[in-house]
Amino acid sequence: MKKATQSRTVVRMYVVLLLFLVCGFGVLFFQLFMLQIVRGEELQQRAMNQQTRANILGASRGIIFDRNMNPLAESTTVWNICISPAELDQDTLDHVAGRLAEILAPHTDKERILAAAERRNTFYWVIARGVDRTLVDEVLAFITDPEAPVRGVFTEQTTRRNYRYGRLASSILGFTNSDGDGAYGLEAFYNRVLSGTPGRVVSTRDAKGAPMPLMYSQLYAAEDGNSIVLTIDETVQHFLERHLETAVIEHNIQQFATGIVMNVRTGEILAMATMPDFDPNDPFTLTNPHAIERLSHEREDSDAFIELRQNLRFDQWRNRAISDPYEPGSVFKLITAAVAVDNNLVSLNDQFVCNHVFRVSDTDFHCWQRRGHGNQNFMETMQNSCNPAYIMIGQRIGGGLLYDYIEKFGLREVTGIDLPGEAPGIGHTRAMLSREGRVELASTSFGQSMTVTPIQMITSSAATVNGGYLMEPFVVRQVLDPVGNVIQTRQPTVRRQVISHEASDIMRQLAHAVVADGSGRLSAVPGFEIGGKTGTSQKLDQIDAGHILSFVGFAPMDDPQIAILVTLDEPELDNVFGSVIAAPVVGAVFNEVLPYLGIQPHFTAEELARTEAIVPNLANMGLHEAQSVLRNRGLDARVIGNGGTVLRQIPIAGQRMNRGSTVFLYTEEEVLSDNITLPDVRGLTPHEANTRLVGMGLNIELRGAVDGAVSVVADQWPLPGEVMATGDLVVLHINVVQEEVVQTEGAITADNYQAVVPAG
Amino acid sequence: MAGEAAGRDMQGRLSAPQKRVRFSLFNIKAGGVDLTFLILVMLLLSIGLVMLFSASYPNALYYRGNSFFFIINQLVFAVAGVVLMMLVTTVNYKVLQKFAWPIMWVTVALLAAVFAFPAINNAQRWIHTPFFNIQPSEIAKFAVVILFAKIAVKNYDKMHTFRYGVQPFLPILLILSGLIVMQPHLSGTILVLAIGAIMMICGGTNMKWFVFAALLGIAGIAGLIMVPGMLEHATVRLATWQDPFSDPRGAGFQTIQSLLAIGSGGLMGVGIGNSRQKFLYLPEPQNDFIFSIVSEELGFIGASLIILLFALLVWRGFVIGMRCRDRFGSLVAVGLTAQVGLQTVLNIMVVTNTIPNTGVSLPFFSYGGSSLVMLLCQMGVVLAISRQTTMEKS
Repeated sequence: MKKATQSRTVVRMYVVLLLFLVCGFGVLFFQLFMLQIVRGEELQQRAMNQQTRANILGASRGIIFDRNMNPLAESTTVWNICISPAELDQDTLDHVAGRLAEILAPHTDKERILAAAERRNTFYWVIARGVDRTLVDEVLAFITDPEAPVRGVFTEQTTRRNYRYGRLASSILGFTNSDGDGAYGLEAFYNRVLSGTPGRVVSTRDAKGAPMPLMYSQLYAAEDGNSIVLTIDETVQHFLERHLETAVIEHNIQQFATGIVMNVRTGEILAMATMPDFDPNDPFTLTNPHAIERLSHEREDSDAFIELRQNLRFDQWRNRAISDPYEPGSVFKLITAAVAVDNNLVSLNDQFVCNHVFRVSDTDFHCWQRRGHGNQNFMETMQNSCNPAYIMIGQRIGGGLLYDYIEKFGLREVTGIDLPGEAPGIGHTRAMLSREGRVELASTSFGQSMTVTPIQMITSSAATVNGGYLMEPFVVRQVLDPVGNVIQTRQPTVRRQVISHEASDIMRQLAHAVVADGSGRLSAVPGFEIGGKTGTSQKLDQIDAGHILSFVGFAPMDDPQIAILVTLDEPELDNVFGSVIAAPVVGAVFNEVLPYLGIQPHFTAEELARTEAIVPNLANMGLHEAQSVLRNRGLDARVIGNGGTVLRQIPIAGQRMNRGSTVFLYTEEEVLSDNITLPDVRGLTPHEANTRLVGMGLNIELRGAVDGAVSVVADQWPLPGEVMATGDLVVLHINVVQEEVVQTEGAITADNYQAVVPAG
Repeated sequence: MAGEAAGRDMQGRLSAPQKRVRFSLFNIKAGGVDLTFLILVMLLLSIGLVMLFSASYPNALYYRGNSFFFIINQLVFAVAGVVLMMLVTTVNYKVLQKFAWPIMWVTVALLAAVFAFPAINNAQRWIHTPFFNIQPSEIAKFAVVILFAKIAVKNYDKMHTFRYGVQPFLPILLILSGLIVMQPHLSGTILVLAIGAIMMICGGTNMKWFVFAALLGIAGIAGLIMVPGMLEHATVRLATWQDPFSDPRGAGFQTIQSLLAIGSGGLMGVGIGNSRQKFLYLPEPQNDFIFSIVSEELGFIGASLIILLFALLVWRGFVIGMRCRDRFGSLVAVGLTAQVGLQTVLNIMVVTNTIPNTGVSLPFFSYGGSSLVMLLCQMGVVLAISRQTTMEKS
């Protein structure tokens, strides 16, 4: 009994102890095992994530060079000025904000600093970005002043991408975002090459971010980005952009203009531009006046405003030369002709009759020439850009074959250019082109009812004249390591041979004929054999459709090296033929690019024999057309002003000038004056008089001048004091003072009187 | 054997060997203390102090400007506690049986007195004195052990009846838990109830009443859930418990930091002093969550050894109780040991997220001077009781 009762207690104690050991401590062992052994690695990883801070060591981004090693985009070290509102001393805040604003103006102002300081529970707020060294030093001097150190203000180092040439090549280069990563263009496409690998210092930190004592830290060094060398030539790019910009003004282009300068043999892009463009240093600011106009109709900061602004920004960043398919129009006749020639379906002597209207099934196709071209041979069909003739040629080829060649010419695929955002054009399927009735075949034959991008058009048309090779266009030719060693060089890539050498020889003759004596005359450059093809198309996707005018040119035609394509989307037109406005733009670019690239001019005997020219009347002419006219008379043009139309000229029409003399073209009202008080030039030598009057923007006409004589201005008309306008004519009567003296430098003759550059 | 020695005393008063000895405060004639238990206590205390220093110094440095802030305080109380413990071993523990009721009344008074002191974190648990702060709920656990042992011994033969096995205990438990829950101090309430239950179980209360109480408890919880808002509150707490990572910045924060610390320890630990989680990640690593840092630094092996030490302590305490020739001493030894075991298990279950977070400190390890002194004194009582056992003394 006693024993039983005692053992009752002991048994219960044993049970309690057993429960403790099994349900208590046993569970603890099990849980520790689960957490430390089974889930140990996972939890350790999580713990490490929070315990370690990686201080990023920025890798410096590579440079983008043009082909001559001019840096187009480079990164510079700048600083952000930051505040820690939680740590700012409230008593001195006003003074500190004032002084910072003073140093940092115009990066920020006092109100903004004070507003940022209101965020009292924040430890990090950037008050000025991209501040350069001198300002940072001032800030540092202020906040570390031993007399009155400032708490809660600090600086952080970062980099800024700098585009030295501003808007130049913006649609190719693109730009970087605020994190320094490529957002658009090459910066985006080659981001991984350029950005390098940021390094980090991984160190253990306590929960407040301070380093833990005696803990490890490990350094992973940053690898700087590689640099890239472009095929783009800054000078050529500049030539192209200037002429495109002028063309936009000249023809009041409603949409945009694109231009590409390509090496025909290699596919290297020497220049590529979209106008209007933007400044990659400040990509968010809208530059296109049409865009700014549209945006001004929306209430600022409304949703519609923000959405529209974003869309307009996307528009301005768009590289339309590779992203926007258009209807190529007659430029495509090069392709149609090449197919026909390559398959021996036409010979140069084949005759084609154009009666203005050509009927296919129930559809009438009209030739742009209302009278019709009548009887013409194959070469003349190209010179005339005759639509009916090309419908006939297309019918000879047949839809299936034409389609196969369209594919071979790369017009149904991207060209593979190393830029982001390339979008191929679209067109009829093989089945549709081969269909009975063949309306699709007819319109495709002369470049309608299908689209291509400018980059597709220039690579395919280059293939017609370069021996038949479809090249892969590219813009990056080398990759350099951070030290500057070449680590990769791009070799030209032939995608395929599309037509035979023989066919290409004939295509060169056709293209040359278009410029020599056809619709492309205005692209001619004396001394160079230019070939090319005009194009005009109506945008079919719109009701009140505008036009796209384009011209593709090649030079020199005996062995083509350079191709240039210019497209003008929705110009304001007097007439609708591409020859009139796109060809002279290409000609003007050729005129500058060919000598720059060291391609030797070869003047014909006729051109060499022509020693002087009569200045034509250029008033109210488009600038590029005027330049083309002067160029083909052997005269140079110098443009004064930023307009697109010739308002005045010096000298005036009818003057005789020597070959190579310069005619000044005034294109802007601002540089014109109707308030020039005529000075007294009587008694001056003709040279001195010329210097003064041309310098004021006046024309002079010399009467009685004799070569090789010492002479003075005897009389002038109008008389001194007369109020005149720019370009007005002053007649000077010259008297010979000394017959026998040989010609001196000061003697003025008709051919050297423009030696003075007018102001402006 | 224990049964032979203590079995004769049916009244549960003095056990046989002391029966003819006059009661004296200091028990000189009894045998030596149980060295195993003493060594375990000293081992745990030493390891606890080392780990407290390791775990607490970043917090001490950051918030108090002195790495030694917590450890110095704790050391002072530890030294005082050990001295008191050794003193207590020499005291005749039966004095507790005499003063069981007064101790209880003082405890109740103290529990009532906390409401006169300002709340900390919305709870009034402390009595502040200029020298130290005391938590009366700590004393309540001790008082329950003493008083319940006394009553159980007195009612020894009739413990299986409701009248003697339940009725005397219930009002005390209700009053104490009522006062503690009002502080509010849920974990303290649970501990007091659990210790009371263990005392009753060991004391001989009929087990059917515990089944009944369990059913009542379930019904009570069900009733609580009916209270508007309670269900949502409970659901949220349970969800955070089930997946602390669902609310990493809020309720789950401390638990997550604890799990990360324990997991980081792996098998071998990061080495003593090398915890990274103690650097302000784990809030208050010197308090209830000190075992997370112990696990991080010492790994599975070290943490297991410490748990093993606690288990051994519990085992030894129970053995002392079971071999005690005096029924009162037997129940007190088991009760006080069970209290340490209970707190250890609950604490480590909390830091391993086995149960939802309640505020139970880890004996010998957690920072807190007065409770350490209290704990050591209780260990002293167990040691004093060990002198009355039939165990071999070395």
